[in-house]
Amino acid sequence: MSNKLITPNPSRRAVLGGIAAGGALLTTGLGARFAQAQSSAPIKLGFQLHRTGIGASYGRWYERTATAALKVLNDAGGINGRPVEILFEDDGTDPKRGAEVVEKFATQHKCDIGFGTLFSHVVMGSAPRAGELKLPYFVVSEGHHVASGALNRWTLQPGITDVKSQVLSMAPWVLQNLGKKVTMVFPDYAFGHDHRDYFTQAVQANGGEVIAQVAIPPTETTFTRYFPKIPRETEVLYHVMVGPAVLTFVKELGEFYGTGARPEIFGFIDSLEAVNIASPGLEFLEGTHFWEGHPRYLQEGASEAELAYRAAVGVDDTGASVSDPADVATYAHMFSVWETLFAVKAGMEAAGYQGPDDRQKFVEAMEAIAAFDEGAEHPQGPKVFNGKTHQAFGLQSISKVEGGKLKRVHQTTMEDGFYPDEVDYTTMSF
Amino acid sequence: MRRLALLFLLLPGAALAHASERMVILTLPTRGYVIGAALTVALTAVLGMIARRPPHFGARALFTRPALLPREVSSWVGAGLTILLVVVGLFGTHDPMENLLPLTLWTVIWVGLTLASVIFGNLWRDVAPWYGPVRTIRHLIGRTGSIGLARLGYLPAILGYLAFAWFEMISLSPADPEVLARAVALYAALILTLGVLEGEDWLDRGDFLSGYFAMVSRIAPFWAEYEGRRVTVMAGLPGAQVVQSAPLTPSAIAFVTLLLASVSFDGLHETFWWLARLGINPLDFPGRSAVVWQNTFGLLSFWAFSAALILGAIRFGLPKGTRFSDLAGPLMLSFLPIAAGYHVAHYFISLLTGGQYAIAALNDPFSTGLSLLGLPEHWVSFGFLSTHSGVRAVWSFQFAAILGAHVLAVLLSLRLTANIERAQTFRTHAPMTLLMIAYTVFGLWLLSTPTGA
Repeated sequence: MSNKLITPNPSRRAVLGGIAAGGALLTTGLGARFAQAQSSAPIKLGFQLHRTGIGASYGRWYERTATAALKVLNDAGGINGRPVEILFEDDGTDPKRGAEVVEKFATQHKCDIGFGTLFSHVVMGSAPRAGELKLPYFVVSEGHHVASGALNRWTLQPGITDVKSQVLSMAPWVLQNLGKKVTMVFPDYAFGHDHRDYFTQAVQANGGEVIAQVAIPPTETTFTRYFPKIPRETEVLYHVMVGPAVLTFVKELGEFYGTGARPEIFGFIDSLEAVNIASPGLEFLEGTHFWEGHPRYLQEGASEAELAYRAAVGVDDTGASVSDPADVATYAHMFSVWETLFAVKAGMEAAGYQGPDDRQKFVEAMEAIAAFDEGAEHPQGPKVFNGKTHQAFGLQSISKVEGGKLKRVHQTTMEDGFYPDEVDYTTMSF
Repeated sequence: MRRLALLFLLLPGAALAHASERMVILTLPTRGYVIGAALTVALTAVLGMIARRPPHFGARALFTRPALLPREVSSWVGAGLTILLVVVGLFGTHDPMENLLPLTLWTVIWVGLTLASVIFGNLWRDVAPWYGPVRTIRHLIGRTGSIGLARLGYLPAILGYLAFAWFEMISLSPADPEVLARAVALYAALILTLGVLEGEDWLDRGDFLSGYFAMVSRIAPFWAEYEGRRVTVMAGLPGAQVVQSAPLTPSAIAFVTLLLASVSFDGLHETFWWLARLGINPLDFPGRSAVVWQNTFGLLSFWAFSAALILGAIRFGLPKGTRFSDLAGPLMLSFLPIAAGYHVAHYFISLLTGGQYAIAALNDPFSTGLSLLGLPEHWVSFGFLSTHSGVRAVWSFQFAAILGAHVLAVLLSLRLTANIERAQTFRTHAPMTLLMIAYTVFGLWLLSTPTGA
């Protein structure tokens, strides 16, 4: 019974509190201050940070990006005229802790939303809890799990494209410019399989042919014996190796081909995110191509927004920290944190968001958003947001290594990355 | 808003994370180093056995001075700091890389103080937060007796260390300030209570940290000897204190094997090799929560395995007519440099990364945008982990620590058995030498093999 008395009706709670404090005059005073405080109280965003564990090298840049974005957001007046606060909680890059962090956001810290999760297994472990607690949950994982329908109405990914869209959008340019006979080299587990499946499908749709798929066991740390499996007639070698042996992979691939003829080489920068492309041993990459979510090196004719973003996150023209040229940022991905924050702002303002009671209204307002324009809030480029699949679509870059730097040679169109909807979250209940 | 003007702090995982430098180290010729180190250790042992004149490990007094603070007082200062850190853990920032409690315990004490103690002697002894409070409380309540805990030897410290090691490498949130604050408060209260019941002299053996620092600091080339209120600062070859130490008791032997095994397992449980044993894809580590039971079992088994290996090697070389404990007691002391050396090498990167965070946290202790030390924005940086020169420098230090520790261990094993009858034979030393060569290779392998957790 007593629980019912203090259920969250603010005015009633204020009155009860006042009575308990013992005076009608005091009640009025407190009530007025409470109302005042509520309208100007900060909006509280919980950031689920991979501060420790395997995601930590991304986590430190995501924290840096979030903090920089928050400053810009607050300097421009916050959200709905209210200041915004970010509460960072470490999830140890662990799905169980991830779910606990989401719960802390919702129940202990009374955050308005949770956001910032990168690693897919943490997203998969946390999103169901966010759904149960009805906490809007914004992920930046690139995973196809949002758009595939595996998650729930409360989980959205408006700040970065998913890997399926990224891979599909590469195929037209790669096939037209690098060659039609493709050999894929990938680690033999889900991450590599996604690349294998999406790219093979896109190659076929664009008139090319995947002539060999070389799956490499994840425990492998030397690769020489796999290279003879690459057919001689290969025109394009597509690689997505990840993990501590990546430098070894590149080095051994270089030794395998020597200075003789080699196929064109196309990879995903995920392999070398946060690694200086001009490192000794990576010379072999000269003249090869990479997908980049966001070009690491400052490109000619970069927008004002790009320059401002770089300055705000403290990254120089080569993609490294302004305080240490050897400390290369996770530049291809970390814009997602920045853009998600401003997507949240757009959604909250569209919903006239006041507090946790408006969470559902806020998600509905997000679902109604169709696009985000390129600019200071979206420096990576314009986005199309699909409210049904809760997934953003955007422009991808293909860069070529020239003189030890990554130079953009192609930017995809928005349509290159589209694929048929696989879910309609708006039909699901909250 | 609170964090608005914060320093933007970075890092791969700090004290608990063993950073991504493995990408570069896999391209370095570490195999040659490992072979070279193994040969050096073997050659040291062979030459030592042939020469039959192990180093003397003499010591001399540098100077004597009055103690700056009585131990009761410095310990009370330590107690005050402990309480303050627990409060910071409970009520300060939730970020483990900004909160001074996890940074102090995992980086400053566990890594930094170990390194300092390996050089300058036991620096924990005077600041350990129990001695002063226990004496004061016992004085106030007029308690003088004990409850017989001393009879347990190192057993309480073994349990404490085991819990600590489990908390550090297996539990889910060892760096979470709030979780850590509760754990520290609980442990401190437990030791305080037991100390009051048993007496302050028990603390040096009952608290695992005191036991740990007393062990690893015995290889320091500088140390202090106390006589009343006067301190004599001593110097000698690393190991000079070890040769003066009393033989280890069985529980102390168990404690030393635990030190060795736990820090090795801390390295091992992140390797591709171990993850493969657990059937886990090392490129797709599912998080600590997926390996709690496996690693708990792994830690205990690895301890049992290490202890069996060491004691087995001693037993195998036991001269006829010599009791096992007469040989094992002194000989186990020669493993102290290995425990200390591997600890220093293993956590060296944590010191370089977490240490930066600790300095940055002191720069702005209340996360209010202060810059007490005048550090610029984005000061914390880890570029050295991804350059060849940086990784080579780190590896060289680790290599020197491991090799130096094992050479010292071999020399100490010869010295410590010099007075045992019939123990100067090839038969006695061969198993130990083989084990130390294996440990050298294993230690360097742990530092250079790919990791995925």
